[in-house]
Amino acid sequence: MMMESTILEHLDSAFQGNAIQKEALNMLKEIGLPHKKSEAYKFTPITSILEKNVSFEEKGKNAIDKNKLYKEEGSHLVLINGILSKEDSKISDKLILKIGEITEGKHDPFSLLNTAYANEEIVIESGYEEPVFIYHFNFNGLSNPRIKVNVKDGHTFRIVEKLITPEDTNTFTNSYIEFTVGKNAFGYHTKVQNYNLATFSHETVVANVSRDSHFYNNTFSFEGALVRNNLTINLDDENCEGHMYGLFLLDKKSHVDNNTSVDHKMPNSYSNELYKGILDEKSTGVFNGKIYVRQDAQKTNAFQSNNNILLSEDATLHTKPQLEIWADDVKCSHGCTSGQLDEDAIFYLRARGINEKNAKAMILNAFALETMEHVKIESVREEIQELINKKLI
Amino acid sequence: MISIKNLQASIEDKEILKGIDLEVKAGEVHAIMGPNGSGKSTLASVLAGREDYEVTGGSVTFENEDLLELSPEERAQKGIFLAFQYPVEIPGVSTTNFLKTAINQVREARGEKALDAVNFLKLMKEKMKLVDIDQSLLSRSLNEGFSGGEKKRNEIFQMAMLEPKLSILDETDSGLDIDALKIVADGVNTLKTNNTATIVVTHYQRLLDYIVPDYVHVLYKGRIVKSGDKSLALEFEEKGYDWIKEEVAAV
Repeated sequence: MMMESTILEHLDSAFQGNAIQKEALNMLKEIGLPHKKSEAYKFTPITSILEKNVSFEEKGKNAIDKNKLYKEEGSHLVLINGILSKEDSKISDKLILKIGEITEGKHDPFSLLNTAYANEEIVIESGYEEPVFIYHFNFNGLSNPRIKVNVKDGHTFRIVEKLITPEDTNTFTNSYIEFTVGKNAFGYHTKVQNYNLATFSHETVVANVSRDSHFYNNTFSFEGALVRNNLTINLDDENCEGHMYGLFLLDKKSHVDNNTSVDHKMPNSYSNELYKGILDEKSTGVFNGKIYVRQDAQKTNAFQSNNNILLSEDATLHTKPQLEIWADDVKCSHGCTSGQLDEDAIFYLRARGINEKNAKAMILNAFALETMEHVKIESVREEIQELINKKLI
Repeated sequence: MISIKNLQASIEDKEILKGIDLEVKAGEVHAIMGPNGSGKSTLASVLAGREDYEVTGGSVTFENEDLLELSPEERAQKGIFLAFQYPVEIPGVSTTNFLKTAINQVREARGEKALDAVNFLKLMKEKMKLVDIDQSLLSRSLNEGFSGGEKKRNEIFQMAMLEPKLSILDETDSGLDIDALKIVADGVNTLKTNNTATIVVTHYQRLLDYIVPDYVHVLYKGRIVKSGDKSLALEFEEKGYDWIKEEVAAV
């Protein structure tokens, strides 16, 4: 196939990877970056946008704002341009952490790009109950942070991720995080995406879930020039659960594209997905939720819903549920709604003495809050709640 | 308390109210009756400030102030309460939280101090008894999944909490069984004082056995065509609304 992207030609000269990386690069060259006709990127022409807006060789000036760190017990990992900065991090001695060679990870063109150009691979393993907070401070034109998380059998492991980028330089973050959730284990992953209009990102999250285990992903998006979330949950064995919660509360010219997929491979698994969008001004929100139920995955329960409120005539929403079912004894449902704020509800609240602004905020806040059910870490909850309030009032 | 003069209102260019005159004094209960489509609910909505309706003429003065100039929230803050015919379901907002916000915004507008959690709960407990409403209902999302009777009781509960000067009950009785009706009526009667007034909008005479009006007005085709005391309501019970339709047609 023709390589359509000048990005790749340009990067080729800077390549320094190992054999696995070389293989990933070759694969990427073969399939190419998404182009105009790529169905999966139909509403987010990422390659052309990146070509127009981001200079990959740009080297930014590092300035770590420690205020961005949560005040919570646990490990705090600070990565700068995809490289762990031990001196800025606070790592519990109980956390098992390794930094090593790049290992496999091929999922989509951008994860291949990450595999080929990542500087290091950070592997963390559950060994204790405290959460791990990962902060990506990316100042360069292109960063490829790469993390692998092992949740061991019987463990509960909570990971929170945040990306911090400069406002005055366009940057592209192409991140990859892969969870391996052992038997009877619980993995929780929360992302807070409050960027700025100079931030472009492609964020791949993959979870491979074993027998009797649960994986939760919570993604909260507030601002970004272009944010593409590729979330894939593989329910590889029996009695697994996959939970996907998301909120995109956008204004200005923010563009957030949530592409999620859950793959039921074996019997008796469960998945639940709830994404909510509130779109104001000239923002764009995309939701594409795929559910696969393979032939062996009898007795699957899979639920999906996407509800959206548009606050402005200039805002755009694309929503697309996609179900592919090969098994015959399954329960699946999906639904999406989109509309304006309910004027009757606003009048009802106003008729009780609540002013219009607060009435709207109250309704939107309640609408958004439903997506926060599985965010258990107090300061993360508080931060998200504050971001919601800031946008709404 | 409220003085309505030649009030005219329309929705989407369709004239609904064609000149209403009504004077309600403190301590009084007025019933507004009439067949479906006569403009009863429109009158209630216009008084509460629903913006779907356009006031095309006339005036409404509430305690010497031009009511029509005020936003719905300002009207509520000044003491007007509309018990909705169809209370709106609002997912994710609990009745308790909603009421706390409402009460404190009303108090703020009146220059009073906000109620703290303890005093708010105390007030709630006291008013809950009045309409026999359960705590568990109040921690649920506002009106979501409530039965018709629960929604109406919740309206009266909110009225009790907000202590309005003028309460407008918009068909609060429709769809209520006799037990629920009695509870609602008891609540309204208990809240009545010499300083408050009530406008009861209803299609049926039945409610007026329990909330006894001082005046009954008949609304028909956007006008009050007949006013009288409570015996007027009884005439409807016997003769039905056709009687009034014939009488108006004869004029």
